[in-house]
Amino acid sequence: MAVITALGATLWKMFAADLFLTLGALATVAGLGLLLHFAILPARQAPFVLAAVILGVLVTAINLAMVKEIRKRIG
Amino acid sequence: MVNLAAAAPIVTASFLASAVEVVEAFTIVLAVSVVSGVRPATLGTAAALAVLALAVAIFGPLIAAIPVHGLQIVVGVLLLVFGLGWLRKAVLRAGGALPLHDETTAFAEESAALAATASRKAAEWIAGMAAFKAVLLEGTEVVFIVLAVGARPGLLLPSAIGAAAACALVLAVGMALRRPLARIPENSLKFAVGALLSGFGVFWCAEGLGVPFPLGDWAILALVAVFLLYGMGMAAFVRYVLARTPAWR
Repeated sequence: MAVITALGATLWKMFAADLFLTLGALATVAGLGLLLHFAILPARQAPFVLAAVILGVLVTAINLAMVKEIRKRIG
Repeated sequence: MVNLAAAAPIVTASFLASAVEVVEAFTIVLAVSVVSGVRPATLGTAAALAVLALAVAIFGPLIAAIPVHGLQIVVGVLLLVFGLGWLRKAVLRAGGALPLHDETTAFAEESAALAATASRKAAEWIAGMAAFKAVLLEGTEVVFIVLAVGARPGLLLPSAIGAAAACALVLAVGMALRRPLARIPENSLKFAVGALLSGFGVFWCAEGLGVPFPLGDWAILALVAVFLLYGMGMAAFVRYVLARTPAWR
């Protein structure tokens, strides 16, 4: 039981604790896959769009966390 | 023949990421060893390593069954989740929004928690479980990182070598000092590893989607540099915002 609890805690810590980043990364890759599949996005631009959107996800996650910490401090 | 441009960052990423995790596990095992003795620390650690070895033996071969493009996407997303998470936390710590992780404090807290149960009959069991959980939790992350970073033909070995070297180094230094490895610049390591894993993640997602970057494997280094610079810029931004937030001061 302790093993399962510890493994569950690890998986939670790794993937679910930061749901925004997990969903952001998944949605970005899935969205890009769809855009490529329907030939909406040229293949040559796709890797750069991927990198740019991922950087956007990171910035948003940092800003959200910073606001959360400031709100915590204010009470 | 393994490409040096791909192998060098893989060994580095695996080494640094594993070092961070092993330091955290070592702190707990050391606290167990000091407070409750070597026996529960050794038994807990050995049991956790056995569970990890079993998990690798069961799930490792399944990876080979996944088609290459699918595997690259799965691994890429996993690396992005790991890397972005580490980078986000490292940026917030570097910017002052979160307190820095302190191994000395972690050691003191674990020792106090164990000492509080030292008079109970089950103290040795609890101490052993503390060591078991610490090694299992951090070890699972090391296994994920080694498999994800090395999930390309010929690159699992460099990845495993990086992790093994980190384990050996941390254990050797830790055993020699017999105290928490508080001087290791953990946040800087997490910063670098977050950038490395994020760079690999974007690269492999692009390859998995069939739209590789120009320059081949050298693009990994460029992506890592972009994430590093971007992270440093964001840390400066967080510092700037917090310094101008009256409620924060």
